[in-house]
Amino acid sequence: MSSAARQPSLQRTLLLWLLPALALLVPLGALLIYRIALIPALDALDRALTDTTVALEQLIDWQGDRATLPISAQTEQALRANLVDKTVFAVTDPDGRLLGGTAALTALAQPLAAGQWDYHDAVLGGEPVRLVTHAVACGASPERICTILVAETRTKRAAARRAALLGAVLGALALALPLAGLAVLAVRRALRPVESAATEVASLTPERLRAVDTRGVPSEVAGFMRATNQLLDRLRTAAAAQRTFVADAAHQLRTPLAVMRVEAAELLAQPHPETMKPALKRLHGAAERGSRLAQQLLALARAEGMGIDPTLPTEAVDLRALAADNADLWLLPALDAGQDLGFDLQPAWVRGHPVLLGELLGNLVQNAIAYAGPGASITVVTRAHEGSVELVVEDDGPGVPLEERAGLGRRFQRGRQAQGSGSGLGLAIVTDIARLHGATVAFESGEGGRGLRVRTTLPPAKTPP
Amino acid sequence: MNILLVEDDAALAEATATAMRARGWRVDVSATGEPVPRSVQQDDYDALVLDIGLPGVDGLETLRRVRAQGSYLPVLMLTARDGVEDRVAGLESGADDYLVKPFAVPELLARLRALVRRHEFRRDGALALGQLRFDSSARRAFIGEASVHLTARESVVLEYLLQQVGRIVARDKLAALIPDWNAAASDNALELLMSRLRGKIEPAGVRLRTVRGLGYLIEAVEPA
Repeated sequence: MSSAARQPSLQRTLLLWLLPALALLVPLGALLIYRIALIPALDALDRALTDTTVALEQLIDWQGDRATLPISAQTEQALRANLVDKTVFAVTDPDGRLLGGTAALTALAQPLAAGQWDYHDAVLGGEPVRLVTHAVACGASPERICTILVAETRTKRAAARRAALLGAVLGALALALPLAGLAVLAVRRALRPVESAATEVASLTPERLRAVDTRGVPSEVAGFMRATNQLLDRLRTAAAAQRTFVADAAHQLRTPLAVMRVEAAELLAQPHPETMKPALKRLHGAAERGSRLAQQLLALARAEGMGIDPTLPTEAVDLRALAADNADLWLLPALDAGQDLGFDLQPAWVRGHPVLLGELLGNLVQNAIAYAGPGASITVVTRAHEGSVELVVEDDGPGVPLEERAGLGRRFQRGRQAQGSGSGLGLAIVTDIARLHGATVAFESGEGGRGLRVRTTLPPAKTPP
Repeated sequence: MNILLVEDDAALAEATATAMRARGWRVDVSATGEPVPRSVQQDDYDALVLDIGLPGVDGLETLRRVRAQGSYLPVLMLTARDGVEDRVAGLESGADDYLVKPFAVPELLARLRALVRRHEFRRDGALALGQLRFDSSARRAFIGEASVHLTARESVVLEYLLQQVGRIVARDKLAALIPDWNAAASDNALELLMSRLRGKIEPAGVRLRTVRGLGYLIEAVEPA
């Protein structure tokens, strides 16, 4: 479908809206997860440093303005004990003198008021560390402040960050990928009934305007489908009205045509001046042709009417019996035309409408009688043959040139050599009725390349009675 | 032949009546169905030709009334419709045959002749065609006054064909009629029987046609 590229697609529009939103929201979600996971982890690590700081605060001793940090080697070791990171500390008195710990750390000290805490990242000796600074009062006056510094390398923190990041990315992806997949799937799924409805509408023919099944069609599209069905309904009504008109018109024509037919035949049969003969013959021919045309228009209207009504029941029909029962109707016209009408009838069961199938067969035989010419031999064959049923009407008359055969099934199309009272509807009726029965009609050369053989191939009845 | 033609279209009634009269038939014409039951009782018609679409009492109702008074008069219905329903309705109300407009005169006449002939056979067992006469009780055939010698099989076949005059009789139906006929007997055997029969009866102005692949049909060479 080349037009699909230019036409707006519901599916693409939905995805165009959905996918960019997902692309934006997924990283945002991941960031949120990352933050939420990371903050408690880092807080817990900070709390461990705080604990060490608080322990050091307990150790500070002061007499007057003189503060000391009486700490044993064991205590210091215990305070600095850490499985992963290196911990260092420093305690300074109000005058900035180092009371204990690592001197290098004092350079990072910041001025704080008594009881204040500060947490920040810093670099110590080229190594990134987490630094806690805490100011405590250590003297008689509140201005006398000792500063406790505890620093820890950031290996644990880096590990926590990596874990949080990984968790956030994986979590967001676990959410986003199925969401995107489900979105595509949901759109496709929601549109499937629409597609099948479209296929159904596309398969409609003027003879078969069935309402489209709207079950399962999303409510957003159901209104459109209902409107389509209403349109189909109006089309059906209009088509039926047109067919009724054709049938009525043909019907009304019948009585005047009967008068013409009877009168013309009688005038020809009575003694008449020789000069009137050509005119009388033309009159008679026109009456015959008009009669046949009216009959065929009715048949066509009936065939199409039956096609419109899909609920019309079909029945098992034996084409052999159909041919044998109608043979009487064809024999006299064939004899009058100087032809030999013969039969080769084997059982041939099909499923269909007996009236229409009779019309199909009658048209084929009458067509042969009309065109095969005097002296021709016409044979009607029915048989079941390799999983299909065949109805063949064959003559050894002049036949139809190959290039004209394709047009034979078209309405009002007559062969160039065609003479006689044909209306050009007979074979159109045949192809119409054949199509209704899932049958195909082939126009071939007759035996030995002479004449015309019309082969109708029908699906066999599934259960021959 | 004495025919009552009931047709409301004056032109068609006149044309049809003229065509029948030209063949020496007597024809009465009625444009409506009402007087028909009485006419049928008063006059001795051979057949009734009845249009279905009559104003007032239609053809089907007229036919019902005719049959209701116990008449077996052969009736041929004419109609401008040709649906199956019409055909069934016509035959159910007691019509013997059915012809769709616009009909050809020869077909109408042939159907009427066949109807009358079958009716006469039902009534008095007389079978006649051209110069040929078949006495069903004596099972003997005559051409004029001369007796025709027929075998038992030939007479069974001829009787049935004469009952079905103008109609194709299927080969297997004929074969089934003949007592002791070997079902396996070929079509050639039947064709042989028929060709002997043909030789015996054709001098009577009767034609015995073979319908290739289907059966046989008997008809008069010159229709009466």
